[in-house]
Amino acid sequence: MIKLENIHKTYFGAQPLHVLKGINLNVEEGEMVSIMGASGSGKSTLLNIVGILDNYDDGDYHLAGHMVKDLSENQAAEFRNKYIGFIFQSFNLIPFKTALENVALPLFYQGVGRKKRNALAMEYLDRFGLKDWADHYPNELSGGQKQRVSIARALVTSPKIILADEPTGALDSKTSAEVMQILRDVNATGITMVIVTHERGIANLTRKIVHLKDGLIESIEENDPDKMDFTKEIK
Amino acid sequence: MFNRDFWSEIFMALRRNKLRTVLTGFAISWGIFMLIILLSAGNGLKNGVTSNFADRIKNTYTIWSSVTELPYKGHKAGRYIMMTNKDIQLLESLYQVEEVSPVISKWGTLIFGEKSRSIGFNGVKPIYKNIEGIKVSEGRFINENDMKTKAKVVLIDQDTNDELLRTTGEMTMIGKTVFINGLSFTVVGVCKANMWGERGLAYAPYTTMQTIYNENKYYQMEFTTKGLDTKEENEAFKAELKRKLAALHEFSPDDRRGVWIDSQMIDSLETMKIFNTINIFIWIIGIAMLISGVVGVSNIMRITVKERTNEIGIRKALGAKPRSILLSIVMESLVITTIFGYIGMICGIGVTELIGMAMESSGGLSNGNGMSVFVDPTVDIGIVISATLVLIVSGVAAGFAPAWNSVKVKPIEAMNYR
Ligand SMILES: Nc1ncnc2c1ncn2[C@@H]1O[C@H](COP(=O)(O)OP(=O)(O)OP(=O)(O)O)[C@@H](O)[C@H]1O
Ligand SMILES: [Mg+2]
Repeated sequence: MIKLENIHKTYFGAQPLHVLKGINLNVEEGEMVSIMGASGSGKSTLLNIVGILDNYDDGDYHLAGHMVKDLSENQAAEFRNKYIGFIFQSFNLIPFKTALENVALPLFYQGVGRKKRNALAMEYLDRFGLKDWADHYPNELSGGQKQRVSIARALVTSPKIILADEPTGALDSKTSAEVMQILRDVNATGITMVIVTHERGIANLTRKIVHLKDGLIESIEENDPDKMDFTKEIK
Repeated sequence: MFNRDFWSEIFMALRRNKLRTVLTGFAISWGIFMLIILLSAGNGLKNGVTSNFADRIKNTYTIWSSVTELPYKGHKAGRYIMMTNKDIQLLESLYQVEEVSPVISKWGTLIFGEKSRSIGFNGVKPIYKNIEGIKVSEGRFINENDMKTKAKVVLIDQDTNDELLRTTGEMTMIGKTVFINGLSFTVVGVCKANMWGERGLAYAPYTTMQTIYNENKYYQMEFTTKGLDTKEENEAFKAELKRKLAALHEFSPDDRRGVWIDSQMIDSLETMKIFNTINIFIWIIGIAMLISGVVGVSNIMRITVKERTNEIGIRKALGAKPRSILLSIVMESLVITTIFGYIGMICGIGVTELIGMAMESSGGLSNGNGMSVFVDPTVDIGIVISATLVLIVSGVAAGFAPAWNSVKVKPIEAMNYR
């Protein structure tokens, strides 16, 4: 599903910063992978490249069999809309739109009609227990609720991949556990999932743990999340 | 693309930024409003002043008798120059002169039934009507037949007419016999007051007055010219005429007085020049206002787009295409400029029309002499619409630059923008 070959990325700021120094990674369809590493190791950078939110300097990136390189903004928008759902640490909900409108927005960009859009968005909100919160604005929701809204928004277009950058970073341990359970359930429906985290407890819930260090993949650890004891705190 | 969702997104954005929307809108409405007010004030002034002359034909000259200032050929200064039939002959001998209209002016008492009133009594030719721009409200003016038959007919002015009707209870004065200085005249017409607002006037045929008074003395003489179109031609003719009259009456050709010669053409050319200058000035102010409106819109659009950088990043991550972001920002500024430009336009037109109507019912704003100075202060609707269109187009352009910049930013940069 995701195939990265020798990916390089340099930030040209005041001083050029070579953040990714040749990343090779394959993520198969239906896999649930986590990326771990110290702060500043390039986890977010890598995920943004995978999500076509940022470009890369060198290497090859194939997404669902398509070469992702030098795309026009239009093509990039289409790829993001069709294949990818994003979940962010800071939720990135649009503050002046209700939960329902936020969830329905990706469908708007797909050209889905209003009725169908709202019905579908409501269905996803309902699935995450947010039916009664549909008309609330993000600032009226708790952190966990906001993250569930953003998961609903990521899923509403039935993407092939979910990319989550520290999805539990702003949540307490109990809410984190709930959100991780939701993501595991989503993955169980066959959706590929890549989660960036620096918490071992979160990574332990994924099948494959990619360790990033100094812009390179240090190791890829196989893991059996079913061995995890869910009665224990994950943080 | 331009479906209900599209518009609801735009109006949502406008509602969300109420203060911004209102401020921008106000700048635009005000710009258009003031432009219209300015232009119509200019027009009102122009219409007001030109309406005083509008009904007079332009190729007209007036000569007034006056007093010499310089001694000349044994004549002392301070001599009164009175025009006579010789002056008429002189004028008629000039090829530039079309028709001479001497006026015999007398004071008289008009008596009708019990009522008597003092009037200015003038013997005039038919051409006098055009030269002075006299408006006949009832009946007719003096005609050639009156001149030929030396008919004892008379026109009275509106004020005299109304007073006579009021005191005698008659329905009309037309066809009635009145006595002026003891002689009977038949009233053939009623005319409005002349451009100076003078009241108590009667006009009889020139030939009739000549027979009655055997007059060979003229304080004032008017004539029309042909072939004099430019200011230069008129100035040259005026100088030539002054020399000839000076020779005839034996006063110094350098005398500033002796006779006054006034050219309607020169006056109106001068007036037009002044108004063209005023007009250019008003346009410069107006365009400056439009430009400041456009700059305002563009600034505010830039700030709004900056404020919305995060949102734009999120939308891109969700699959928004550049076109849709570009369009929605441009349409936002288009909607603001259109709605508020329209409001300003309607208010401007409304106010000027109201003022115009109020002035019409009160007969326009006049100075002490009854000359109007402000008439019909309205603007050509075509100009208003084009000014509004210019603003709308600029509004789109103003929104386009920041929109284009925001589209070029990478989604992750936009999302991380603080
Ligand atoms: N837009 C940018 N311009 C310049 N440098 C950047 C930019 N974004 C990130 N960096 C730098 O690149 C390096 C990697 O950043 P990245 O955000 O990928 O790290 P991370 O692994 O996600 O860290 P964290 O765990 O703190 O989120 C950091 O040193 C960061 O300062
Ligand atoms: Mg990060």
